[in-house]
Amino acid sequence: MKRKSQDESRLPDNTAVKQQQLPAFRLQLSANEILSGFFATGVFCLGMGIILLLSAKSISEVEINYTEKCASCAKLREDATHFDKECNCSISFYLPQKMEGNVYLYYKLYGFYQNLYRYILSRSNIQLVGTDLKDVRKCAPFKTSENGLPIAPCGAIANSIFNDTIVLLYNFNSSTHIKVPMVSSETAWWTDKYVKFQNPTYQNLSSAFAGTAKPPNWPKPVYELDEEDPGNNGFINDDFIVWMRTAAFPTFKKLYRRLHRIGNFTEGLPAGSYSFIINYNFPVSRFQGQKAVVLSTLTWSGGSSLFLGLAYLVTGAVTLLASFSMMAIHLKLKERKTFFLQS
Amino acid sequence: RCRPKQFRPPPGQLRGNVKTSKYNALNFLPMNLFEQFQRLANAYFLFLLFLQLIPQISSLAWYTTVVPLMVVLSITAVKDAIDDMVNWHSGIQGSLSCRIVTEKWMNVQVGDIIKLENNQIVTADILLLSSSEPYSLTYIETAELDGETNLKVKQAISVTSEMEDNLKLLSAFDGEVRCESPNNKLDKFTGILMYKGKNYLLNHDRLILRGCVIRNTDWCYGLVIFTGPDTKVMQNSGKSTFKRTHIDHLMNVLVLWIFLFLGSMCFLLAVGHYIWENNKGYYFQDYLPWEDYVTSSVFSATLIFWSYFIILNTMVPISLYVSVEIIRLGNSFYINWDQKMFYEPKNTPAQARTTTLNEELGQVKYVFSDKTGTLTQNIMIFNKCSINGMVYGMHVFLFSLSLGEILLCRLEKVDFSYNKLADPKFSFYDKTLVEAVKKGNHWVHLFFLSLSLCHTVISEEKVEGELVYQAQSPDEGALVTAARNFGFVFRSRTSETIMVVEMGKMRIYQLLAILDFNNVRKRMSVIVRTPENRILLFCKGADTILCKLLHPSCGSLKDITMDHLDDFASDGLRTLMVAYRELDSAFFQDWSKKHSEACLSLENRENKISIVYEEIERDLMLLGATAIEDKLQDGVPETILTLNKAKIKIWVLTGDKQETAVNIAYACNIFEDEMDEIFIVEGNNDETVGGELRYEGRTATNGGEREGQGRFCPKSFWGSLECRCVLVLQAHALEGNLELELLRTACMCKGVICCRMTPLQKAQVVELVKKYKKAVTLAIGDGANDVSMIKVAHIGVGISGQEGMQAMLNSDYAFSQFRYLQRLLLVHGRWSYNRMCKFLSYFFYKNFAFTLVHVWYAFYSGFSAQTVYDTWFITFYNLVYTSLPVLGLSLFDQDVNETWSLRFPELYEPGQHNLYFNKKEFVKCLLHGIYSSFVLFFIPMGTVYNSVRKDGKEISDYQSFSLIVQTSLLCVVTMQIALETTYWTMISHVFTWGSLGFYFCILFFLYSDGLCLFFPDTFQFLGVARNTLNLPQMWLSVVLSMILCMLPVVGYQFLKPLHPLPYPIRTKLKHTASRRSAYAFSHKQGFGALITSGKTMKAKLPKKNSFPYKR
Repeated sequence: MKRKSQDESRLPDNTAVKQQQLPAFRLQLSANEILSGFFATGVFCLGMGIILLLSAKSISEVEINYTEKCASCAKLREDATHFDKECNCSISFYLPQKMEGNVYLYYKLYGFYQNLYRYILSRSNIQLVGTDLKDVRKCAPFKTSENGLPIAPCGAIANSIFNDTIVLLYNFNSSTHIKVPMVSSETAWWTDKYVKFQNPTYQNLSSAFAGTAKPPNWPKPVYELDEEDPGNNGFINDDFIVWMRTAAFPTFKKLYRRLHRIGNFTEGLPAGSYSFIINYNFPVSRFQGQKAVVLSTLTWSGGSSLFLGLAYLVTGAVTLLASFSMMAIHLKLKERKTFFLQS
Repeated sequence: RCRPKQFRPPPGQLRGNVKTSKYNALNFLPMNLFEQFQRLANAYFLFLLFLQLIPQISSLAWYTTVVPLMVVLSITAVKDAIDDMVNWHSGIQGSLSCRIVTEKWMNVQVGDIIKLENNQIVTADILLLSSSEPYSLTYIETAELDGETNLKVKQAISVTSEMEDNLKLLSAFDGEVRCESPNNKLDKFTGILMYKGKNYLLNHDRLILRGCVIRNTDWCYGLVIFTGPDTKVMQNSGKSTFKRTHIDHLMNVLVLWIFLFLGSMCFLLAVGHYIWENNKGYYFQDYLPWEDYVTSSVFSATLIFWSYFIILNTMVPISLYVSVEIIRLGNSFYINWDQKMFYEPKNTPAQARTTTLNEELGQVKYVFSDKTGTLTQNIMIFNKCSINGMVYGMHVFLFSLSLGEILLCRLEKVDFSYNKLADPKFSFYDKTLVEAVKKGNHWVHLFFLSLSLCHTVISEEKVEGELVYQAQSPDEGALVTAARNFGFVFRSRTSETIMVVEMGKMRIYQLLAILDFNNVRKRMSVIVRTPENRILLFCKGADTILCKLLHPSCGSLKDITMDHLDDFASDGLRTLMVAYRELDSAFFQDWSKKHSEACLSLENRENKISIVYEEIERDLMLLGATAIEDKLQDGVPETILTLNKAKIKIWVLTGDKQETAVNIAYACNIFEDEMDEIFIVEGNNDETVGGELRYEGRTATNGGEREGQGRFCPKSFWGSLECRCVLVLQAHALEGNLELELLRTACMCKGVICCRMTPLQKAQVVELVKKYKKAVTLAIGDGANDVSMIKVAHIGVGISGQEGMQAMLNSDYAFSQFRYLQRLLLVHGRWSYNRMCKFLSYFFYKNFAFTLVHVWYAFYSGFSAQTVYDTWFITFYNLVYTSLPVLGLSLFDQDVNETWSLRFPELYEPGQHNLYFNKKEFVKCLLHGIYSSFVLFFIPMGTVYNSVRKDGKEISDYQSFSLIVQTSLLCVVTMQIALETTYWTMISHVFTWGSLGFYFCILFFLYSDGLCLFFPDTFQFLGVARNTLNLPQMWLSVVLSMILCMLPVVGYQFLKPLHPLPYPIRTKLKHTASRRSAYAFSHKQGFGALITSGKTMKAKLPKKNSFPYKR
């Protein structure tokens, strides 16, 4: 075989790849291209920043931190033995301007770590899609109840669900308080509500969950979360789903209710005096956490965060400054180069 | 093959064949896996895998390590298998036919008697038993061994030579050889042959060494003494070591650095975790109680240390080593595929035999070259001559036209058809000489007559009219061939006569004496009696010697001839003076008596003979001078010039003698005329050599080390002294303890020639430079004598397509012409180096940017070893998403094209100084990575922090955040590689943008309903892609991250001052070239004694004797 190959020419193939002659575009940016690129980027960022800031400014938002305001309730909740005692707390505030359009009610937690490694893992997706309620393998440390029954929904996330109830009252005048109509629907992602979370297929929800235990912190089992609306009960309860989508940072707000725009509230929330009635269940003072309620309107760019706008603005400004100084240096160097050439 | 039965092989001798392939089908998997896990990196990842299996500290899913590890192991296994297959094929090479049994060389064993035929290469050390030639002489060529090109004679001892080719006798041969154990001394052998009850002493004249070529001998029989690794050549070839590149070493150091960085990072994070657990975690136990086994925050922090160790391991990416291997493999293939390194006449393409050294080709600082066969073609050509003051033999004529225009006109070959005995291969371009011969110019006739008489060449005429000359040195052959073509054909000789066909007429000269050459005399003479009964002495020799012996009447002719010799010498030709003397019959008789007396004297014979010789070699009449061109390989001077421009220093290491080597050095531009000084170190002992070196060092720098600049040594741009002087070394200079002194002087010089080197000394020189200079060395050679240096040097290059394969088989790269070296280094080497550097910078960068994000996140996630990314992203990041673009970059990128690389060899310099990737660059990568990770974490964080979608729903959840960071990261690293790529081929486009597109496809697949519902616990990110990728905030964040990561890089590149190329500092120093190349005679005495003793005369063998002219 060797002999054979020696007779014929062993000249390597003349292909572009083998000869490293592939046709190619040589990327060589000239000084002008780079400088104009810098300018364009600067202008773009500046413009973007201004737009974002303006739209963020158009949002009206009210945030009320009620950790301090409901100190007595907080005190009560620090002692776990008082779990069955109800504690209500009312917080009044005045809305100087009306909030137009859709108004959203959030609860906001400070210093609550939903992103701890063990916390995030402590859930059973198999259980939550309703296929196997007994699957609690990954739910440590809340796998089973004391009597050995699998917890449904198991895991640390479910167990720590935010269980304050917040009601907003509109103080029409000093005597009449209207409950502001709020809906809990469409607060979760569509995919979560209809794909990721499913109740076990059973005629009766409570019998479907037979043989399971409620999470230890919960006052009632999962199939009693919303007994009025079967589409919001069990695993597909909106509040539950929203909580189960763990936050990335220890400070987060989660959508609690949307304003139902009827009656007085078709335009949004009118200016005036309001009060929150909070059924205080969720203890945060033990770990120095804080709780707040937030009322907010939204724009195309989402919530109230000014960050993106500011970041764009600063980037744009710095880029423009940088491009001016680069141009100066470039021109100076060019001068020197031509000087060299002439001499 | 015939094996004597009673032969006892000396103890400890091994069989000659060497097993080269490692694996077979059965043992491949376990052996290969075992070998792979011996590599530190793989072992580390295995360790990591075990760590991950511990549930208490596992912070990543098991598949994040297993999948990449499996892929890497299988790719490496496939590569190893292919490499091994290649080895297996090359294991069988070369075969030899033998009268009785034809056997492959690999099966030859000690004690076999083998038959060798003319022009065969010997591949074992063989004791000569008998040969076809009278007195069992065997001619061999040892160019492979020592670079000398002359023939050497070996002779069998008489008792065995009687056997001739009688197979019965040979197979009955039952002698026993006792000899020294295998050693590396090429010129020594002692042994005893016990045969028929008698002891015969054996010395190295009886031994034919492996690597020799049989010449002028139809057949010979020999007894195999040493085979395989025991042969003298192999003993000389040094140990083969596993070669690793500087980048490899650097990479190992850097990986160690990364480990330290990783360790300290983990430690800091563990401390952070301890503090957090104390301040927060402990009180957070309502919602997340500690595990049962966690008793205190210190214990928890210890576990977290290992968890972070697992998470941050991607800083040392598992695919680093396998990617490096793939890149090197690819770049090696380019060398194999290069048409411009294919040598048509020999049908040999270049060959990268090692696939692990590519980038080092771009960093070579020292080239060690063999001379014979590498720089030269080993062909001597009679080029010019000066006869009686006239120069003949111009190749081109210059016609001066008007206004200084010059027309170069190549002359046509001279037609030698008038001479039937002319050698058709001989070519000469000057017609005037032929005309002079035809006209019967007396001096020209005498000149050629002397050339045809004064030599020790032996002629062979197997077919009538086809003369084959066996010259002891190719120079002599060239001279006699020239005389033959001009009509003075040396036809044959006996011990007393020389038969010459002079212009078609047969004349027989009586050979009265041969005054042979030796090193001191540097000349040889013959004394002949012409048919007219005149006694003439013809002498040829080195001009320096000969001009002292001339008759005073030649004064003016001598001056003219000396001028011509200067011209010849400056063309790099090897010159020789020719003279004659007419002797008085009585004077000769007188002298002859003295001569025979001297020959018979027992004491101090050599001395007496040379005194007698001097008596007669006086008052010579100058005839002229010859100039012989030692033909260089094509393009050698140009190549060396280019390499010099690239600041590559070329040292010539040769076994040949000094004059020849210096001559070649001039011819191929290693020495230039305007070189300021040639230092020759000739001392025989430590003291003289040391003194010479110190003196030279002082002369060269001229006290310059204090002043910064010496007389000849301007400080170069890089701070080293660069002298415009050259050094010539003899082998003894190496023997003392002067290594450092020697090296210091040698490295200051522009060129260095080392003569008289044995193979091991060549290796020593290379080793010396390797040891004290942190520079990459390359050794190039063609013969077995170069094997040792080829093995020692960082890169060994073998000239292939020659007869011997030793050098090629031991080399890392092989091609068939020296001139391809510039392409190998300046084009392939430079590209490989640049690509590798770009690859490494980018690779480290992308992994830092990727990994360090976790560190930032730790501050917001309670140091709980929470990763930012989806585990599948971590699994695929190095393996799928970013591997192809970086492979594309490092396989296809070209910063400048090949024309520019070759036209501006200065571009090669940064590689020699390691500028493109070093520790500083690595720190830059690290800082760049830290910055990028900072941007990549905090911009998405700012975007989602406390933010919601425009319909009020979640955006700041962990999974969306992951997705934003992942996407930003991939966009940023893709843009980064797009910036690094300077040569955008179609493939680069497909790889770069394709990978990014592929990422999104995989994303939708991994986050799809079907997959996530099927494995809800493995794929948890259901619907995240759909919900997040359509958000304006997300894209705004990605764009901002890209801008913030890219703009500083572009700005830095824009403002980074280019390395100023050093301005050539020309200190013009007028230097008159006064070099004169002496005739490079063979180092030993010629065949004179053999000829006069009549041993070579084949007249005794009637079948071969076919003289057409009978006396």
